[in-house]
Amino acid sequence: MAAESRVDVTGKPAAAPPTPADEPDGWRRLRPATPWAIGAIAVLAVIALQTQLYSGQVRTVSTVLMFIALAQSWNILGGFTGYASFGQVAFFGLGGYSTAVLMAKAGLSYWMALPLSAVIAAAFAAVIGLPLLRLRGHYFAIATLGVAEGLREIVINVPRLTGGGAGISIPVVGKHASTAYLGNDTFYIVFLVVAAATTVLVGVLSRSRLGYGLRAIRQDEAAAAAAGIDTTRAKVTALVLSAFCTGLVGSVYAFQQVTIYPERLFDVQITLLMVMMVVIGGSGTVLGPIIGATALQALSEYLRANFTEVHTFILGAIIIAAVIILPQGAVFFIRDAWRTRRLPLLDNVRTYRL
Amino acid sequence: MNTPTTPALQIRNLSRRFGGLAALSDLSFTLAPGQILGVIGPNGAGKSTFINLVTGHLRPSTGQVLVHGADLTGKRPWRVAAAGVARTFQIVKPFRGMTARENVAISAMYGPTPRRSKRAALAVADEALERTGFTAAHTATPNELSVADARRLELAKALALRPRLLLLDEVMAGLRGKEIDRCLELVHRLREEGMTIVVVEHLMKAILSVSDQVLVLHQGRLLILGEPHAVLSDDRVIEAYLGQRYVQRKAR
Repeated sequence: MAAESRVDVTGKPAAAPPTPADEPDGWRRLRPATPWAIGAIAVLAVIALQTQLYSGQVRTVSTVLMFIALAQSWNILGGFTGYASFGQVAFFGLGGYSTAVLMAKAGLSYWMALPLSAVIAAAFAAVIGLPLLRLRGHYFAIATLGVAEGLREIVINVPRLTGGGAGISIPVVGKHASTAYLGNDTFYIVFLVVAAATTVLVGVLSRSRLGYGLRAIRQDEAAAAAAGIDTTRAKVTALVLSAFCTGLVGSVYAFQQVTIYPERLFDVQITLLMVMMVVIGGSGTVLGPIIGATALQALSEYLRANFTEVHTFILGAIIIAAVIILPQGAVFFIRDAWRTRRLPLLDNVRTYRL
Repeated sequence: MNTPTTPALQIRNLSRRFGGLAALSDLSFTLAPGQILGVIGPNGAGKSTFINLVTGHLRPSTGQVLVHGADLTGKRPWRVAAAGVARTFQIVKPFRGMTARENVAISAMYGPTPRRSKRAALAVADEALERTGFTAAHTATPNELSVADARRLELAKALALRPRLLLLDEVMAGLRGKEIDRCLELVHRLREEGMTIVVVEHLMKAILSVSDQVLVLHQGRLLILGEPHAVLSDDRVIEAYLGQRYVQRKAR
């Protein structure tokens, strides 16, 4: 009885739209060039926006752009491949600390340290990838979490190199400075470039052979392997790409902060934000992480400004509500609403009697 | 039968244990190219284990698997696929969240003759779907498919690999009379094109009409291997597969 009415109420089988044979794959009915054009316009709009902001706001939007880049990075492994990394901040911290150490101790210029830091994060991912990616689901999540926590402890315990718990400062003024501080306006552009680059990478990936391989792995690893996909190589590639991007963002963040601390650079909250942004926006999509990062970061800022005392509480409540109403993420919700011409807002609540 | 050509499939003393349970023990046989081998046996006889051992989804405890002379023992599934071996899964494993033709195109993108362009892969996919008699739109997603079309999708994914050796794990389960006939027709046509096929089935009728050789597994062991009618009239097979009571009734 209960089972029957469940099927009836959700109406999902009946609501499945007829797919005409001439419709191109999936729901992307746009011409291939259209997303690139929209992306280019968006980038120009963000550049134009900068002229309208005062300095505090420039910093806020920079943070949004940073989280777009981080969410896209997480999306490569967690979204496409279905391996939810809860230690993604390890690559962020490694990228940041590599930059700080390379600039403060080795005297490298920032433009040398930036790519090197990303490569270091990627190389670290390649090393831990083989053992870690043998694990699945919760085990993978816990193992990655352990890696991030472990890395933070290592950074704290080699103070000669990293400054330990007291942090490390990148020399940005005077004759010790290998590269002069960039300033808020330049960091805004750098974060924009990184966000755009990671988005382009994910966009190219999603239409590529590797992208299809990763999505197949997410759905069923045994079937993916039977289809000829070298699942080990594909997964490690995804992790390395993801770590490279995350390390890049960590590097920019470290230089922007000038002084960095292990607690901040390996903060598990940064990982959680990446996960939530991707999940709420739509995992395994190009647009999802942008929507998720922008929405969550904007909401968080608004709440902090207007409900200082209880802002994390309200934010938490809204996230819970978002996950209940949009369990598959905003992008898929909008797509389904578009295809079926109805708003399935409460379907999930009805289905599971929440 | 005694042609000097290399066998399509050579199984030598193949065994697989799960802890104390011997899922497959000491299986040996050879299969000539272009033959259809039917594999039957009651539940738990080791049929799926056998397929998983050939395709690399399981590693054998002991023994060897040779396909067209190449030793594939313990090789990972993608290496086996690259060697021209394709399979279907007993429980269909579609890639959700993408269309049927994208599902099949993945096999064409990877596999022995990889199509690196998406357009070429989709063309192979459409052709493979056509061959299986897939009735839904090629752009339908797996959730929208009937049981029969889900089976055909599973088959098309294997065909898009353009295999030389095809292993079908109960691909006709859940199909109705006419659908089974069409599937058997396809198996025949594939064989005429030179494919070697292993058909694991519960359906006795399907096995009888399609196989050159029938192999009966019982409790992980090879009970008998031979011509379909000889095998099916063998008393040991009747006892193992159809039950003791059937034997007694026949004796009376």
